[in-house]
Parts: sequence; C-alpha cells; structure tokens
Amino acid sequence: MGLKDILKSSTFYEILQGMSVTGSYFVGEKVTVEYPKEQIPPFERFRGVQCLISNPETGELNCDACHICATICPSNCIFIESSEGPDGAKQLDSFVIDLTRCIFCGFCEEACPRAAIAMTSAFEFSTYNKNDLILTKDWLVENQKNLHKELRKR
Amino acid sequence: MTEFIILIIKLILIIAVAVGMVPFLIFFERKFAGFFQSRMGPTYAGPWGSLQSFGDMAKLMSKEDLVPAAADGPVFRIAPYILFVPAFVSMTLIPFGPMDVDIFGYNVDLVVSSFDAGVIMFLALGSLAVYGPVLGGWASNNNWALLGALRSGAQMVSYEISMGLAVVGVIVMANTLNFVDIVDAQAGGFWNWFFIPQLVGFVIFFVASIAELNRDPFNLAEAEQELVAGYMTEYSGMRWGIFMFGEYVNMVVMSAVISTIFLGGWRAPFEFLDVIPGFIWLVGKMLFFIFLYMWIRWTLPRYRYNQLMDIGWKIFLPLAIANLAVTALIISVV
Repeated sequence: MGLKDILKSSTFYEILQGMSVTGSYFVGEKVTVEYPKEQIPPFERFRGVQCLISNPETGELNCDACHICATICPSNCIFIESSEGPDGAKQLDSFVIDLTRCIFCGFCEEACPRAAIAMTSAFEFSTYNKNDLILTKDWLVENQKNLHKELRKR
Repeated sequence: MTEFIILIIKLILIIAVAVGMVPFLIFFERKFAGFFQSRMGPTYAGPWGSLQSFGDMAKLMSKEDLVPAAADGPVFRIAPYILFVPAFVSMTLIPFGPMDVDIFGYNVDLVVSSFDAGVIMFLALGSLAVYGPVLGGWASNNNWALLGALRSGAQMVSYEISMGLAVVGVIVMANTLNFVDIVDAQAGGFWNWFFIPQLVGFVIFFVASIAELNRDPFNLAEAEQELVAGYMTEYSGMRWGIFMFGEYVNMVVMSAVISTIFLGGWRAPFEFLDVIPGFIWLVGKMLFFIFLYMWIRWTLPRYRYNQLMDIGWKIFLPLAIANLAVTALIISVV
C-alpha cells in the first residue's frame, strides 16, 4: 500500500466519489413511469390485438372472407364462416379470433390481400374471464379505434 | 410530586419522539432508496406515499405469529424486545435543551436523567443490545439465524471497542462523562463543537456506529445473499416488525448520541440562532445523520467479513488509541 492509497482511503476519496454518483441520481430525473396513470405510447409497428378494417366512406368491411389469414395463422386461432350473399359474392358471417391461442405474429395482417385485418396498438385486455378473450366480429370492428395512426393515413 | 409527574411526562415525550419518528424513517428509507436508484419509492398510500409504513404495520399485525417448533419459545419471543429497550433507555440520557427552563411556571430540566456516568451508561446499554440479535438467532434453532447472530455478535463487540475509545477523546476534552455537561462544554458557535478537534474520533465513531446498527455496508449479520435474513430468518409477522422497529429506534438513538457528543447537541451553530429552540436543532442534526446513514446504505456494497474485522481491529482500534493519546497529551500540556 503506497502513500497514495493511504491518502485515498483515509480521506474516503472513493466512497465520496460513489456517494456523489448516488447523490446526483437522488436529485436527478426519475425514470419511473407510473403505468396506469401514465403510459408509454406503443411503437408504430407494435403488434397488439387485431381489428377488422372497414371502408371509412361506405362503412363496409374490407374483408371478403377469402380465408387466407385463417390458413396462414400458425396457431390456428382465426375462425371464419361465410355464405353466399344476395349478389352471389361471398359474405362474411362470423369472424372469431381466439386470443388465448394468438401469438401476435402479425402473419394475418401481412397475408391479407385487401388490408382488411390489421394489428393495432391495443394491448390492455387482461381479464378474469377467459371467454372475454374469444373476440367476435363486432368487437374486432369496434377495435378500429386503436388502429395505429400511421396505418390510418393510408 | 410535581417533579415525579414532570418526569413521567418527559419519559412519555421521549418515547413518543423515538417511536413516532420510526414509521417516517422507514418511509423515508424506502423513498430515498427509490430516489438514489432513480425510482420514485412508495407513492400510493396517503399523500406522497407517506402512510406506507402504517399500511405495512397493519399488514404485519394481521399476519400469523409463527414460532418454529424447534425454537426455544420464551427466548425467541423476548429477543426482539431486548434490541430496543436499551435504545429507549439510552434516549433518556440525551439533553433536548438547556437546564432549569421555565415552562408554565414549572422549573424543568429538558433531559430525563442528567446522569453523571452517561457515556458509560450509553456504551453499556449498547453492549446489552447485542443480546437481541444473538439470543434471537440462537433461539431460532436455524443454521442461518445462528450464523447471522454469531456475525452480529462478533461485529458489535469488536466495533464497540473503537467506538468507546473514540468517545474517550471527547471525555478528556470535556472533562466529564455527563451528556449534559458535554453539551455545555460545546457552548458558543459551531467552532467549539468537538467534531473539529476530534475529527478522527468523530469519523471512527460514525463508522463504528454504522457497524453497531448492522446497516450496510456492515450488515453482514443479515447478508441476504448468504444468510437469507441472518438472525431474523425465522421471524415473521409483527415479531419481525419489532426487530425492524428496534433497528430504527437504535438508529434514532445513535444519531442523537453522535449529534450530542460531536455536534453540540441542542446548541445552535451560531449564537444569534439561539431563538430557535434546542429541540429543533437536535432533531435537525439527528435527521442529518439519519440521511447520511441512508445515503451510505444505498451507495456502498457490503464489506467482506475479513475486511470488516480488518477495519475494526487493524485500523480503527490503533487509530482510536493514537487519537486518545494525542488528545490526552495536548490537553495535559496546554
């Protein structure tokens, strides 16, 4: 132990250095985000729960029940039922997403040829009842309000 | 008769101060722990989270009072109290203001007992407090508790020596063992306080007091990573709460003793500030030391056991003796 070390430890130099660091944190800005009160907005490409997009002018759904999303879905969580409509075209009867199985991979959104299904920014859907996680067509259409702003522009 | 009633009132006030500060100290400890780590600490209970400790207390009260089957029942039950009763007794030695004050027509000394061997009494009671952790750890009949108790005992005993020797310098300078007279010897401005001539003693006493309080960086008795919770491993519910409580009461008492011995007790740093009552000065100085304890706790990592013993026996003990020798020499020559 040299003279320098003795001087350093007798003046508590290193301990005071450490205390000045914690002291600067003490007065500095806090990093806590008080979650329910304040939220960090999700990123632009965040893959939250899906929604079905309707045409803003006519209000009709973009979906024409082609079953591509249900086919590509790796966890088989999309269930589509369709029938023949009055004009002979396919008509979407029910569109159910089983959120207990969904892995939020976003393949349905990528595969959709008509941009009818999209992932949104919604991520708060914790519940005590598992049945709340079987999402129906009405719920998914309603969920358009959580669509990412960047998608809405298109 | 009136004297007796005044004494009872003073005792109640002293205990109320020591006990009343504890919930807020625990709250501030958690709040400051958050601040030192860029967090916010408790925020939900009450304004600014200030009622957090009372919530904790309610939770601890409602928990089961568990005594392990293999534990030594009576000793296990009484150990937490042994930790904080000596602390209360030490608190009675601390003067909170001048002697012979006229309050509502009564002549009152603002100290419970102006005891002539006060410093000795304080050191003796500090030694008694060792029994709390040691008996608690022994009676728990648990490996970790026993190891924690052993460490706590060894640590408290070895730091008590340098602590006692550090005070002797002050005793030599003040020529008294009475806390009241020690404060009187520091009358005048802050340049008369003993922490300037006795800087070495002050530093040794402060560091030794951290070790006595079993706080970081000397909390080997609890060492969470090695010993679960040290001597408190088997304690739960309010019995554990009383252990925690005792630790914080000890912290209050230790800070009061340091400010009395080295920082002029209830005296103001400048004489023109004497209009502010001494009680407020003493509590202010105590809060300063308590904040310092917290700052150190949330900054430094724990020392290794051999480092702890090295600091105690190889550095502080010789330093304290040298400090005492130099002080005695200067006092006898000048």
